[in-house]
Amino acid sequence: MNGMRPSHPNALDRWLAAERHDEADEADAALLELFEALPLIAPPAGFADRVLLRSGIRFAPKRDLFASWGARLAVSLSLVALGLGTLWLPPVLRFLAGLMSVSGLVQSGVRALVGATQLLATALRAWDLMFTIGRALTQPLAMPQVMAGLVACLLISSLAFRLLRDQINGERNWTYVDPV
Amino acid sequence: MKTDAELIASALRGSQDAYRELVKRFERPVYSLILRMVRDPSSAEDLAQEVFVKAFRRLDSYDSQWKFSSWLFKIAHNATIDHLRRGTPETVPLEAEEDDRGSLAAVLADETVEDPLAATERRDLGRSLERAISLLRPEYRQAVLMFYAHGASYQEICEVTGLPLGTVKTNLHRARKELAEAMISLGWGPQGRQPAGETRRAPAS
Repeated sequence: MNGMRPSHPNALDRWLAAERHDEADEADAALLELFEALPLIAPPAGFADRVLLRSGIRFAPKRDLFASWGARLAVSLSLVALGLGTLWLPPVLRFLAGLMSVSGLVQSGVRALVGATQLLATALRAWDLMFTIGRALTQPLAMPQVMAGLVACLLISSLAFRLLRDQINGERNWTYVDPV
Repeated sequence: MKTDAELIASALRGSQDAYRELVKRFERPVYSLILRMVRDPSSAEDLAQEVFVKAFRRLDSYDSQWKFSSWLFKIAHNATIDHLRRGTPETVPLEAEEDDRGSLAAVLADETVEDPLAATERRDLGRSLERAISLLRPEYRQAVLMFYAHGASYQEICEVTGLPLGTVKTNLHRARKELAEAMISLGWGPQGRQPAGETRRAPAS
C-alpha cells in the first residue's frame, strides 16, 4: 500500500471535473483511484477467538493417537500380550481340535440352519403385515377425489410458504431503515 | 495456501484451524464494511461476530456457486439492515475517533512517505471522504463501499443486496454524484481548495 501512492488530490480533481462534465467513466476511474488507499480496517485483537467462542461449534479433537502416556502404555502392553499369546496358541489349538468330532460339527450345522430358517420366516411375516397396512393406507389415493384434494392441499401450502417468504424478504429493505 | 473451498470442507469436518483461518481471511472486509455502515466500532464488532457465527452455523447450506465473500457480505447486509432498523443511534462518527490508525485519513497521510504539508492535506482529504461517505443514505453507502472500496462487481452487489442490476447502477451513479457534492460542500471544490491543516467542518446533516 505504501509503495504505490497515487496522487489523491489529483485524482480528486479529476473526479470532480469528470462529474461536472458528466463523464461517468472518467469519474469512476478517478474515484476508484481515490479509494485505492481506503484501508480495510482490522477488528480489535482476538476477534477470531471471540467468534469461535460465540459460535458454540463443537470442534473435532485433534487426533494424535500417541499423544498421551496412557495410550502409549496400552499399545505397548497389547504388543507384549500378543507376543505371549502366540506362544500359547499352538497348544490351545491342539486341545480344541481334540474336543471336536464329526457328529458334533454336523449337529451344530443343522441347529444353525434351523435357526436361520426360523428367523427368515419371522421376517417374512413382519413384511407381510407391513405390506397389508401400507396397501390399506394407500387404497384411498386411488380415488380421484382424494388425490385431487391432496394435490390441492399441497398447492395451497406451497403457495402460502412462497407468499410468506416473499413477505419476509420484502420487509428486509433499506426503505425501512433510514428515511433519509 | 488453501482455497476457500478447501477451508470450508475442512471446517465442515470440524477443524477448528479451518474456522479460524476463514475468520482471519475475511474479518477485515466484513468488519470494514459493517463499521462504515453503522459507524460505531462496538456495534460493528458485535455485528461482524454475528455474521461469522451465522455463516458457520449454516456452513453446510453454503452454495459453492457463490463466492464465499459474497455470501458473507449477504449475511452482513442482512445483519446491518436489521441493526439499523432497530434504530440504534450512531454514536461515534468514524472521523471523530481519536486513534484513527487504519482509517483512510491515516493511510492517506502517512508522513513517513512525503512532506508534512502534503501529508496533512491527505489526512484532511481522507477525513472528508470518510465524512462524505457517512452522509450518504445507507443503500448508496453500501453500494459505494462495495464497488469502490471492496472491488465488487455489479453482479455481486445485485446478489448481496437483492436489487436488480438497473437499480444498482442507478444507486451507484447517484451515490457518486452525492459524494461529489458532499466533497465540494466540505471544501474540496475546484475553487475552494483549502490550505492544508484547516479542515472545514461538515454542514449539519
